[in-house]
Amino acid sequence: MKPIEMIAWFTKDGIPTPIKYKLSFDDDTVDIIKIDKIIWRSEEKIAGNRMLIFCCQSVINSTEKIYEIKYELNTCKWFIYKI
Amino acid sequence: MGDKIIFHIDVNSAFLSWEAADRLQHGDTLDLRDVPSVVGGDESKRHGIVLAKSIPAKKFNIKTGESLFSARMKCSELIIVPPNYNLYMRCSSALHQMLMEYSPYIQPFSVDEYFLDCTGMENHFGSPLEAAHKIKNRIKKELGFTVNIGISTNKLLAKMASEFEKPDKVHTLFKHEIPQKMWPLPVEELFMVGRATVSKLHAKNIFTIGDLANTDPEFLKCWLKSHGLLIWQYANGIDNSDIKTSAYGLKGIGNSTTTAFDVQDKKTANMLLLSLCETAAMRLRNANKCCRVVCVSLKDFKFNSYSHQKKLDLPTDCTNKIYQKACELFDEIWDGEPLRHMGVHLSELCESDFYQVSMFEHELQKYKALDRAIDEIRLKYGSSAIVRSCFLHSGLRPLMGCISDNASYPLMSSIL
Repeated sequence: MKPIEMIAWFTKDGIPTPIKYKLSFDDDTVDIIKIDKIIWRSEEKIAGNRMLIFCCQSVINSTEKIYEIKYELNTCKWFIYKI
Repeated sequence: MGDKIIFHIDVNSAFLSWEAADRLQHGDTLDLRDVPSVVGGDESKRHGIVLAKSIPAKKFNIKTGESLFSARMKCSELIIVPPNYNLYMRCSSALHQMLMEYSPYIQPFSVDEYFLDCTGMENHFGSPLEAAHKIKNRIKKELGFTVNIGISTNKLLAKMASEFEKPDKVHTLFKHEIPQKMWPLPVEELFMVGRATVSKLHAKNIFTIGDLANTDPEFLKCWLKSHGLLIWQYANGIDNSDIKTSAYGLKGIGNSTTTAFDVQDKKTANMLLLSLCETAAMRLRNANKCCRVVCVSLKDFKFNSYSHQKKLDLPTDCTNKIYQKACELFDEIWDGEPLRHMGVHLSELCESDFYQVSMFEHELQKYKALDRAIDEIRLKYGSSAIVRSCFLHSGLRPLMGCISDNASYPLMSSIL
């Protein structure tokens, strides 16, 4: 799980939808990744810490991938998870 | 009216479980609960004791309260993580919120223990056993940590039941189960039987809870006074206390610290007292109370503890007055030996809006205004916004004590 820089839009009701983010690789290269589709979203509160989970689909390194990203409400941080 | 149904919910190795759940949520692949690990204080500040341990650590005979040094001797691979009181408060309140969905009668007993009155909830959640399993599994799934739930007809038995087998279990201890389930246990397992009482009971050939339950209560009362009767009642599963949904009446405010170095001179000792008094007096004023008794406790480098207390002529909530008294008390008991622990305790509290005034204390109003101004500045701009100049470049913290920023951190109580 690593933190990412994210662009997201929030509805008037405060519901966020991630759009695109910056992903850095181990060889220090950076890629901008567009989220093509959000397959499902859910919420968890492990240890009382609320996080929104998005299962997303994107093209990374010319392959289509399904993975999860998390948004930590407490700190306003985005993380990439389960890729 | 039938018997009550009381649940006691106890988080398994709370501090460690919470740390583990938090780490897993943040992408850590190692579950601290599956390896020998402990939550321990900072050794460089001489707070290096085991605060909580995992079940694998228990297999190495590591005990809560022992030093990290000796714990490491028992298991060289031991993982030690620092405590995080804000995390514990967050987990505790998340648990509280979830339990509120099951009953409005809920009593936080400590940061990781709750009593829940589930009398008459059968129509909503099924039999007590079913309900307890439901609650336990939901906590595990949604909050990511495990709990033990004890079910009985009063708080004492529910608490004893939750101690049986861990982790992630539900146990019952109803009246008719006492002889089989509780009486064979060693007497020190009983709530309110501590180290001092155990040695007295052993000397009289009382080794199990059953032995105690079958002792003549009159004899116990003559011998151990009211406490003797209390533990006899507990051994027989008698406890009539209610679920206290509101906080206890405040009886005293204390603040103490183990110093990172041995205190050898009076100046440093006085500064430490001042910093302890600052926090304690702020909490006193925050609770709208005045105190009538000030107590100073010390522990020297050989771990000898002693304390001294004095009644004030007039109740006060003023930092300077309390500090002055604390210094007097300190001078009376300190012989110059190096100190490792100091504490200030304020008791005999009364309301601060109505109390006796004195003709001879002209400065009082000034001090009150000063304290109020300081409190307001600290509330608005943070506790370090205004500090006493004597702490500048001293390396000592101007406000000592309080385990977390949140002053409402609930601690263990001996009152059910």
